[in-house]
Amino acid sequence: MLSGGWGSGFDAPPRILIVDDDPNLLVLLADQLREDGYETMTARDGDEALSRLRSGWPDLLIIDMMMPRMDGLTLAREIKGHADLPIIVLSAVDAGDSKADLLEEVAEDYVTKPYHYPELRARINRVLRRLGDKVPRQSLVLGPSLVLDLHRREATVDGRVVQLTPTESRLLYALAANMGQTVTTETLLARGWADTEDADPSYVWVTMRRLRQKVEVDPNRPAHLMTVRGVGYRLLSEASRPPADEGGSAA
Amino acid sequence: MSGAEPPEPQRLGMPWSFRSRLTVALVAAAVLPLAGFGILVLVTDIATSSGTTDTVGRLLLFAIAVAALFGILVAYVLAADVTAPLRAIAAAVNRVGAGDLSTPIHVSGEDELARLAESHNRLAADLERRNRELGRILAAIESASPRDGVEYLAGRAATDAKAAFGMIDAQVHLTDPESVPEEERVPGDPRPVRALLRAGGEELGVIAGHLPATRAWERADQDLLELFASEIAVAIRNAQLFTRVEAQNAQLLELDAAKDDFLRGVSHNLQTPLTSIRAYAEQLIDARPDRRLGIIAEQADRLSRMVRQLLTVTRLESGALKPRSEVVALAPRVRRAWEALATEGVAFELDDGSAGWLAVADADQLDQVLWALLDNAVKYGGGRIDVAVEVDRPASRLRLTVGDAGEGVSEADRGRLFQRFVRGERRRPDEGSGLGLYVSRELCRAMGGDLVLEPARPGRGAAFSIVLPGEPAEES
Repeated sequence: MLSGGWGSGFDAPPRILIVDDDPNLLVLLADQLREDGYETMTARDGDEALSRLRSGWPDLLIIDMMMPRMDGLTLAREIKGHADLPIIVLSAVDAGDSKADLLEEVAEDYVTKPYHYPELRARINRVLRRLGDKVPRQSLVLGPSLVLDLHRREATVDGRVVQLTPTESRLLYALAANMGQTVTTETLLARGWADTEDADPSYVWVTMRRLRQKVEVDPNRPAHLMTVRGVGYRLLSEASRPPADEGGSAA
Repeated sequence: MSGAEPPEPQRLGMPWSFRSRLTVALVAAAVLPLAGFGILVLVTDIATSSGTTDTVGRLLLFAIAVAALFGILVAYVLAADVTAPLRAIAAAVNRVGAGDLSTPIHVSGEDELARLAESHNRLAADLERRNRELGRILAAIESASPRDGVEYLAGRAATDAKAAFGMIDAQVHLTDPESVPEEERVPGDPRPVRALLRAGGEELGVIAGHLPATRAWERADQDLLELFASEIAVAIRNAQLFTRVEAQNAQLLELDAAKDDFLRGVSHNLQTPLTSIRAYAEQLIDARPDRRLGIIAEQADRLSRMVRQLLTVTRLESGALKPRSEVVALAPRVRRAWEALATEGVAFELDDGSAGWLAVADADQLDQVLWALLDNAVKYGGGRIDVAVEVDRPASRLRLTVGDAGEGVSEADRGRLFQRFVRGERRRPDEGSGLGLYVSRELCRAMGGDLVLEPARPGRGAAFSIVLPGEPAEES
């Protein structure tokens, strides 16, 4: 289990700060994570968490949504205001709830209580792995008809705002980090469905097809979301497109 | 009051009065044929005495014709003169009908027609003035919005009334009308006027003001003021109701948010200990496998699913739950749900005919549905569960059917099975919440699909089918 599931890029064991008002859960989860080789810190509430941050930043935070005094949303916002530390929210309320939605905008991922430890671990590793590519906080303009606001999980297509699911925005994010280059189906699968054991390449194919319906003006003649048959996908912006595509402006 | 230069009056009539002209016309009509007949007799007489009878006959006919023509001519000319003022008045009345109130008719003299024309002119001028007032009133009423607030509407109504009726002053009192004393009219002083603000049988107040002493105030003017008052009363009442409804809305939203918070709190308080129970049991199993620890973990899961179901019901009803559209392979998902239930002594068969098609659903919510259906089949299914996944390609739908070998659903239960808190009549009262099928159907519908009970099959148990949107698994 100590095989470094957190992936490359970490010389030392990743440090995780767990914030929860239930002391049982703190001890338990810290034990579970330590057994898997992570370094852990714990905090009983938001204030304690903030003071812990002063003595050194963790690589990731796990924050309970419902806490006395400072709730998870406030704490997550406070932290993100200082540093872009990845946050996983632990909540008794499942995703899809209005308040949970708010939190998901701030946090990187969301796990429902009671958590299943293997699933939580898979999500921790996924969040840690994608540390390399930063979610752009600003709009990503791919052309006159497509603007991505991945931190808000929104795309603006021909002036119309469409909502993206967490998976869709994760995939676009992986593609946007490698703009113009092909990203393999396997990579996308790992990015989008790290915690889904049943997932296979068809998950990527179908989700990309649905994504194209959402973000392309003409899904049958895509301008941005391109398939590289048998390999993967790539995202094109107006700037990264070959000059020949630009209507004869090439010499 | 008209302000503009008065239009050129229409001049009609003659120096004689209408009566004298009519007299002349009647006399002419009566006398001329008589005169004609006299001439005729005279001519006949001359002819009989000096010429042939033939000449006499022709002359006779000629004379009759001349007399008749002359009579008609004179009558026509006189009639034209007599009816001209009448036609002018008719035309003026028609103009009033068409909306032109500004062209008076002038008929000279003192006769009946002149008086008729004069009273028409007065009527038209009155109408024109009231029309102008009505126009201002309508404009004032139409621009009133319930969002404007009561105080603002009352203040503006006073200003509008003052302008529309040419008042010296006007006030709107939003108090008991009795408390605003009625003023006596003193000749020579400004004339007091008032009207009740009445809406829906309720007296909201009174509008009162003063007119210049010289201003005529007739029944029609009072009617107009009362019309204005009643319209303003309706607007003010709407504003009052609007304010009240807004306050109630805000309160309801607050309560709704409080309810959501409460439910989150309840859920949190129940799930937190369950999380510890479950995780400790799991940790202990890892160290030392024991069937009893497995049961603790399963029962903790079961309890936590029930809490979640209750939370899901309320949030589905309030619209706070919005399932996501993600892709899910149904067969592995149902197998996993079955494993999570960790049931012993029940035969489970899964026939995957999905041909790689993926369902579009919210995996977390789908799990709730699968658990509910499988749980049901375990309880009432006679120890055997058959799950089949099929594709309906033309409709782009996937169908997952959970069939069992139990007694099936009784005819009486079929119609009410999906209602809240309903359990089948053969079922013991202590089993389940009675919410499972209701929540499951609502969840499926929220995900763009449905949950149906399959028709009864003789010799076999109940079968429920989940229908969900599906997508072929092709690279594209």
